[in-house]
Amino acid sequence: MILAAFRAEWFKLSRRPAVWVTIGLLLALTLGIGYLVTYLVATHPPSARDAAELATLRPGLYPAALVSKALSNANTLDAIFALILGALAQGSEYGWGTVKTARMQLPGRLAILSGQLFAVTSLMLVATLLVFASGAAASCTIAVADGHSIAFASGLDILKGIGGEWLIFEFAAVFGFGLATVFRQSAMAIGLGLGYVLLVEALAFALLVRLGDAFKTAHELFPMANSQYLQNSFGQVGGIVGVVIAARSEPTATHAVVALALWIVGIAVLCAALDKQRDIL
Amino acid sequence: MTGDAANAIEARGLTKRYPSGVLAVEGLDLTIRQSEVYGFLGPNGAGKTTTMRMLAGLVKPTSGSAIVAAGRPGSPESLARLGAMIEAPAFWPYLSGRDNLRLLARYCRVPDSRVTPVLKEVELAERADRAVGTYSTGMKQRLGVAAALLKAPDLLILDEPTSGLDPQGMAEFRDLIRQLGQGHRTVLISSHLLGEVEQICTRVGVISKGRLVAEGTIDEIRGGAELTVRAQPADRARQLLEEAVGADRVGLLADGAMSVRVDLGRSGELGQLLVMNGVVVTELRAAGRSLESVFMELTGTEAGE
Repeated sequence: MILAAFRAEWFKLSRRPAVWVTIGLLLALTLGIGYLVTYLVATHPPSARDAAELATLRPGLYPAALVSKALSNANTLDAIFALILGALAQGSEYGWGTVKTARMQLPGRLAILSGQLFAVTSLMLVATLLVFASGAAASCTIAVADGHSIAFASGLDILKGIGGEWLIFEFAAVFGFGLATVFRQSAMAIGLGLGYVLLVEALAFALLVRLGDAFKTAHELFPMANSQYLQNSFGQVGGIVGVVIAARSEPTATHAVVALALWIVGIAVLCAALDKQRDIL
Repeated sequence: MTGDAANAIEARGLTKRYPSGVLAVEGLDLTIRQSEVYGFLGPNGAGKTTTMRMLAGLVKPTSGSAIVAAGRPGSPESLARLGAMIEAPAFWPYLSGRDNLRLLARYCRVPDSRVTPVLKEVELAERADRAVGTYSTGMKQRLGVAAALLKAPDLLILDEPTSGLDPQGMAEFRDLIRQLGQGHRTVLISSHLLGEVEQICTRVGVISKGRLVAEGTIDEIRGGAELTVRAQPADRARQLLEEAVGADRVGLLADGAMSVRVDLGRSGELGQLLVMNGVVVTELRAAGRSLESVFMELTGTEAGE
């Protein structure tokens, strides 16, 4: 039943123009800002005084830095687009009234929801692979242009990087999906989701930690913080978009992976509970 | 509840009160036999759509229970044998009509080869490769029926399928539904268009303010059909008719004609009886209250409201 639902959900997601426009935009921004603009700034410094500082950006553009470069946008740009994709995947169903059409088919509600989540997970894997593949192509091009060697990190490191990026993508997409399930629409899910991802959690805890260490510990359980820990665990590169975090002791990558996985499962369970008890009008 | 295998739908005490407090359906008992085309009549807001939503498993009843196509509403057993179009059909607008059906076929584990035959059945095959977003209301209705037919269901639930269609489209759709109701398939169709129901359905139920207020064949709903008979000699004709249908069913009208309360299917037989016994029949016609007037009485509304 779940397999049948997954096949249907993938059929519909993979043929939806909005999905590929969103992923295309993400890749364009990732490559445009992360590689092209960075390379132009590094190679054409506005003044001689800046040249030395900007030259430090160049190593981050080579294949050896692929993993850290790809993950440098994970918690910001990538999470935003993943959240939009997740919200669209579910919110549009309510907007079009196709929730009703789908729920009258064979598999049953829970199987359809599982199929939806697996299809979104698969889409996030595709998006992750595209981010890495396009980054690899861009970094190789820059390395060749600079006469620099084309040497990638080890296969294992790249796989870990892909896994990390996929998990951050997945959390953001499932978060968007969950908000769209709660509000039965895309617009509110995207608006509130972006507010949370970009501002609310960071702002709230920036103030709360002043009240005591308990809040700092609590923040370590929250999803955007853990996305950031996971991103940081792959190292940082200098860049225009890369977020520079002050060096401090923070939870491990394992902590971040477990926390994000629990958030994903929790949101999925909430969606299932809502879907099971709701009337579909 | 355990359903009778001879019935496609059995509902007992079905009640739905929405969280807003609106009581949409109250204590509905409904039995729809296999292979019949059952018309669900009622004015707007009577509870037809809510009942159908409950039968399709979209809405959970507040109380009561139902067996639909041998399963609990919304269960895989029931959904496997049920095709439904509740209210306006909804589809994925960026996909073509054909791709929408291919998508639904995947949900139902039906082979893609089933898509073209159902598109032909609803006469949409030629326009099936256009995006659904460009479809007219009539085309969407046809695609909705095609989607409902995809599983080759034993039970078809259609909620006001001719709503929004022009007169020609309505006539075509009635023919289509009549075809679909032939054979072993059971069809439950809701409408507030009495002519439509009269033409298509073998049995009807009338719902008003969430309660089933009448159920039976069209003739039964009209309070028993009547034949108006004018014949000479009148005494001999009356005697023959009383012997044939019972004295209590034959009455004398003011203008000298007789009224006979009988199944209209027997009108030919009665005419022949009179003629063979030397009675000259000058008038033999169906009479009685229209379905519209009965509907208005039962629901306290204007027909078609």
